[in-house]
Amino acid sequence: MSLLSIEEITKEYDGIRALDRISLKVEKGSIKGLIGPNGAGKSTLFHLISGVEKPDSGKIYFKEREISSMQSHERSTLGIGRTFQTLQIWGNMTVVENIMAGMNRRLKGGLFSCGFWLPGIRRSEKEALKEAKKILNSLDLLGKWESMASQLPYGKQKLLELGRALAMKPELLLLDEPASGLTFNEMQQLSERILQIRQEGVTAFIVEHHMGIVMEIADEIAVLHNGELIAEGTPEAVRRNPQVIEAYLKGKRASA
Amino acid sequence: MVETKKSEFRKRDFFYLVPLWLLSLIAPDPYLYHKKEFKRKDLFYLGAICLAPLIWSDPHFHHLMVLAGIYAILALGLSLFMGYAGQISLGHAAFFGIGAYTTAILTTHYAFPTLIAFWASAVSAAVIAYFIGRPILKLKGYFLALATLGFGEIFLVIIRESTDLTGGVIGIFGIPWFSVMGFVFDTYLKQYYLTWGVLIGLFIFSKNLVRSKVGRALLAVAASEDAASSLGINVPRIKLEVFVLGAAFAGFAGSLFSCVMSIANPEAFSLGLTVPIVMMVILGGMGNLYGPIAGAILLTWLMDILSKYQEYSLPIYGVILILLLIFFPDGIGTRLNVRVIYLIGYWAKKKKRDEGKF
Repeated sequence: MSLLSIEEITKEYDGIRALDRISLKVEKGSIKGLIGPNGAGKSTLFHLISGVEKPDSGKIYFKEREISSMQSHERSTLGIGRTFQTLQIWGNMTVVENIMAGMNRRLKGGLFSCGFWLPGIRRSEKEALKEAKKILNSLDLLGKWESMASQLPYGKQKLLELGRALAMKPELLLLDEPASGLTFNEMQQLSERILQIRQEGVTAFIVEHHMGIVMEIADEIAVLHNGELIAEGTPEAVRRNPQVIEAYLKGKRASA
Repeated sequence: MVETKKSEFRKRDFFYLVPLWLLSLIAPDPYLYHKKEFKRKDLFYLGAICLAPLIWSDPHFHHLMVLAGIYAILALGLSLFMGYAGQISLGHAAFFGIGAYTTAILTTHYAFPTLIAFWASAVSAAVIAYFIGRPILKLKGYFLALATLGFGEIFLVIIRESTDLTGGVIGIFGIPWFSVMGFVFDTYLKQYYLTWGVLIGLFIFSKNLVRSKVGRALLAVAASEDAASSLGINVPRIKLEVFVLGAAFAGFAGSLFSCVMSIANPEAFSLGLTVPIVMMVILGGMGNLYGPIAGAILLTWLMDILSKYQEYSLPIYGVILILLLIFFPDGIGTRLNVRVIYLIGYWAKKKKRDEGKF
């Protein structure tokens, strides 16, 4: 059984069909890519999976549980982590706190046990700090662990967002355009990091606007166009699919 | 009660700035992670708070600091909700009023001991905040501000109209002094230690919250609710928790207030109180726990100093607040230290410039 399966999902905005009866499956331990021209409905699909928005019809299953009616935070508690297309870093916290806040669902303690600083909280805070530093180290951000997150350059913030999503130890990681705005070196670092994540047993589902990085790391690719799934398969097959070429060329011509 | 005498400006008034300055000795960036831990500096503040009323043994100063302490408790709770969770509440004075009236009614009508009334005040404020907060915390920004404002007004109307229980517009008189196991807090000095003791307790609680997982969740909610919920933070719940906690703080403050003033009347909890409390949080500095305390001391002191100018006091007050907001946009508690250093540097350089050395 696949880790995530989407069945016949539809979403409309003011009569415009953003997604039209999409069905998709993401296998456990794989890296799946989702590509398509602007306005194809990629980010909408991610919003529906992570619970930022609710579908009009259709069902989403995660680990064989239906999650389509769950709240966003309940879904993340089940193990769906995500990053955002428009960077959503918490600029009012330090870098290390961003990572530690990402661990929120794994740390125990409520209002009172935190307020009274009980020994259990003390211990878990200490461990969280240690673990956060380890994550920062793996992202080459340890040197800046105590600067405000808003002061980092864009590429580092992107990495930090990835680190924050990793800190919650998700089973399924939704990456919404992780490579946009990154320099070539940073992109290299990113794809290495994603491959490394897979080895740690995390399934990744990546939306990417430009093909290069997805073709390189994904096991399987789905192509959305105008809210419809026009192709699905290995990178090689997708690259040669005439419909995909058509969709992308059209997009290019329109923007030129 | 000791009569507060309206004398002319005394040099001693300047010394009220000293505790303010002590509070402002916060490091340049209180937002940094390790700065959120308790430091040796906090012991220094604690010493200053304990010694201040003994050094200035003036009942008027004591009374002023009692009021400042009560407002600081109120501002501390609001600061968790506004400064950390990034929400806005203009109905905080109502919870203060609920606390004050709970104590007033329990002690005068039913002759409860003040200590029990003190806890009951916090509980009643928290329970009401829970039922108010559940529906209205779904609102954001201006709408939340309006809804909380409306709640404050409704509270005032209820208090004014239910004459049998609350004494209507006249209020309730003769609330007994606060007493614990037979020890009566009957002088301003004793009340000073009472309020500041409560304040320190609540401050430690808040500071622990802020440096733990809860504080990070609050900051996350303030920065981006979508990101917060996508990382497993239950946004509605944490907002409600901190709203209820702020109300409980206000309940404690209200209880102390009615015991100190020995009167509870509706005028004390109107919008005329809400605005200064919000100002204390903003002036003190958002997202910083020392700020609201500094803001509370500053505003209480300012209102007292200006009260001798009678009808001119409000315009002067307004102008001072505007100037403070212009020159300390992120709060006195946050940046005073930096600003003072900057100013000293500026003067030193100016002197050299004038001498032609630059």
